[in-house]
Amino acid sequence: MPPKVDFEKCDGCKAQDEPLCEQVCPGDLMTLGENGKAYCRSTRDCWDCMSCTKICPVAAIETRIPYQLGYHGAKLTPMMGTNTITWTSVDIHGNVERFRYKNRIG
Amino acid sequence: MIQVKQPTSQIRVYVWDPDGCLEKSLDLQSLMGQCAKSTNVVSCEKVDDPSATEFIETLGRDVGNNLFDRIIWVGNLDDSTLRRLREPLSSSGLNPYMQIQCDLKAQGICDEAVDPPVRFRKALTLLKMALARARLLEPLEPIYLPATDSVAIIGGGVAGLHTAVSLLELGYGVHLIERQSGVGGKTALLERLYPRICDPHCGLAVVIRQLAQYERFSLHTLATVRGLEGSPGNFTAKVLKQPRFVAEDRCNGCGLCQAACPVSISANTDWFQDEPPFPASTGLNALVPATIKAIHPSKPMAFPYAFTIEREFCPEGCDACRSACPNGAVVPDQVPEEKTIQTGAVLVTTGWDPYPLSRLNEFGYGIHRRVIGNLEMERLLGSDIAAGFKHVAFIQCAGSRDERHLKYCSAVCCSATLKQVRSLKERMPDIACTIFYQDIRTPGFEEDLYKQVRNLDNVRFVRGLPAGVEAQDGKGPLILTAEDTFSGKPIRLEADLLVLAGGLAPSTQAAQVANALNLPTTRDGFFESHHQCYPEESQRTGIYVGGCAREPMNVAQSIESSQRAALKAIRFLKETVRVDPTYPVIDRGKCDQCKRCVEECPFSSFTFDEKKFPQPELTRCRQCGNCMGVCPLGAISLRHRTMRQFAAQIEVLETSFMGSREEPLILAFLCENDAYLAAAEAHRIGLPVPPNVIQMRVSCAGAVNNALIADALSLGVDGVMIGGCKDGHCHYINGNRLVLKRSGDLQDKLKTMMIEPQRVRFDALEIRDSVKYVECVEAFVGDLTAMGPNPFKL
Repeated sequence: MPPKVDFEKCDGCKAQDEPLCEQVCPGDLMTLGENGKAYCRSTRDCWDCMSCTKICPVAAIETRIPYQLGYHGAKLTPMMGTNTITWTSVDIHGNVERFRYKNRIG
Repeated sequence: MIQVKQPTSQIRVYVWDPDGCLEKSLDLQSLMGQCAKSTNVVSCEKVDDPSATEFIETLGRDVGNNLFDRIIWVGNLDDSTLRRLREPLSSSGLNPYMQIQCDLKAQGICDEAVDPPVRFRKALTLLKMALARARLLEPLEPIYLPATDSVAIIGGGVAGLHTAVSLLELGYGVHLIERQSGVGGKTALLERLYPRICDPHCGLAVVIRQLAQYERFSLHTLATVRGLEGSPGNFTAKVLKQPRFVAEDRCNGCGLCQAACPVSISANTDWFQDEPPFPASTGLNALVPATIKAIHPSKPMAFPYAFTIEREFCPEGCDACRSACPNGAVVPDQVPEEKTIQTGAVLVTTGWDPYPLSRLNEFGYGIHRRVIGNLEMERLLGSDIAAGFKHVAFIQCAGSRDERHLKYCSAVCCSATLKQVRSLKERMPDIACTIFYQDIRTPGFEEDLYKQVRNLDNVRFVRGLPAGVEAQDGKGPLILTAEDTFSGKPIRLEADLLVLAGGLAPSTQAAQVANALNLPTTRDGFFESHHQCYPEESQRTGIYVGGCAREPMNVAQSIESSQRAALKAIRFLKETVRVDPTYPVIDRGKCDQCKRCVEECPFSSFTFDEKKFPQPELTRCRQCGNCMGVCPLGAISLRHRTMRQFAAQIEVLETSFMGSREEPLILAFLCENDAYLAAAEAHRIGLPVPPNVIQMRVSCAGAVNNALIADALSLGVDGVMIGGCKDGHCHYINGNRLVLKRSGDLQDKLKTMMIEPQRVRFDALEIRDSVKYVECVEAFVGDLTAMGPNPFKL
């Protein structure tokens, strides 16, 4: 399922030539629309790698989990620290699981 | 990125406890014992007097023998002690940036009301945090950048001229850039100055004579600034000079050309439409005659002495002036010339221009020729054209304090009108004057002027503005109808002349200058200023604003304010400019060139290097750290307060010192300008600050990166508090707003993570808000207790 951009929050990375999500997307799928907001231009090519969700500086992107993993209502949210990443997974019953990893060196 | 192994650090911890407070309130020996056993610590000792010569000598020797390479001072060393330590230690090889302080008392360790074990564990946590940071310290050296010891002053009015003289007297070079052909600005157009009621040309002429004596003075007339590059200390200004058609070095101002010139043009044709209502006068002063020739002396004052030609009025093929000139100074084929000026700082004294009174048609300006503005009145006062007038009316706040025109008070018009009335009455004691006003504003000693004028015969003040202005037969005396709002009676009177006290609008060139210098302006078009503690400071380092370019003010205030601007600019007018080594650096391995730092830097100090990486202009940067806070990748760090140092300190909080899982643990990022000081004061005067909070000092609330908050929350810290300035009070313009916006985004993310967004809290604190700080912490502790522990807590 493709990333969903909250247009209220997205500031198009201040409408610079390439927003961060565009830079980071391995499939080069994210781009700026005419309204200066980011969107996924080819939703079926998205691998749900969540790179854009992780990097978005204004927390405007949410990746909907594919239905094989969790039905509507299930959520997987990353939060980036300086050298950690914290995952929160919420299933359709509201059960929460949390994971924290070191993810970078330096 | 590969982790570079830190060279092993050797930390000495010195505990300075002059009042025995730490000794008394906790088991200091055991604390020091635990500290001494920590990694990288070579010793942990008590010190009786850190500024004692003997102690400093021992330290110096030990540094020289490589026994240690960094120090943690536990206790509160005041600035003078630190200063005394700095010199001897750095000469023996200990970099000043290899020492940090860990002030336990300012974190409430000595608060007797708190459970001793909690206090002990908190002290240990704070020590561990200090150690974590100390391990990551790096020796830093200040940078000295080459600079130029001359300054560019934009605007040669009274403010610019006086400032130029002051700077020249101090030995600096001055480039004065003036858009008109001569200097003097608006002041030169005035007949008299208040409060001394003397001729402004007297003061200006003195200044001009002084200027001419200095070799390092260069005057660029008919010139505008087209662009500014570089950084403070080393600006390059592009100046476009319009042709004067007279060679400045050859013209001696003899005036033969003026006599030969066949073309007369009426000056100030813009304010009398078809024919002048009064006979043209040359009475004001010979330099600004009402009618001038196409070749004429510089205006408004004849400095530089060279004449100038209004080429658009020259008839085809006319050669009169060139053949009349004995020195061959007339150069008809001069073209615009672009110059570059090297300058260390820029002073903006562009001044003001009268608000276009033609927009005020309710008072008949531009309709009736007997309605004039107050600048025109100045010219009229110097002539004899008022002879025969029986009654002159004045309207105050014509355009000022009016939602439709200028929203502000123009500050000088009341006194200017009173001065005009006084001058008029001096010359023609029998003339009657009526002043229509809303409020008379004569601050300070200007009140004397008001009293003097009020006591004159035949001078009447009417509160209320005229509703209608009409002219008899379209040309004759004016009929004014108004209502005196005090008596409620209608007034109808006949006046020979109506003077509108028009407002002061920003100079018409202000927008162009703002554009060329990338200098923010207010809604009204004046240049942005701090307006209070640093009035001369613009939002661009190295560019200072004085005089009416900043806000409406009188002549004395203009001179004063621009002198202050000059005083501040001197910092950059040296051979080298010193930059503290705590400037931001960008980790190129991490930087994604997203340019957010460039966008949000409050002082626009980022440029791009050859590989498109953002690079701060070091002299322009004020080291507030907002770039560090804003970077989505945490790639920017202020040196000496790096992201890694913060992260390492936060990591210590993984184990709570509070004793039980239910007791909330709070990390407070406090702005060192206000909130941190309020918190420290709260502990100093013994307010009951809950022990749950660890205070972390940051350069600005805007320097707090979301990644650090995320770190703290994911490590199990129950709540993160950000203490910043009140809205509009931020020392770095809007750091508080930036952090509020970012932490708001994070709060939204916390919601989707099924974590209470209230775990991140922003509080606006002023420096004396110690009690409020305690209340905020208490409320936060209460909220967090109600929420229960952070789900990430061990």
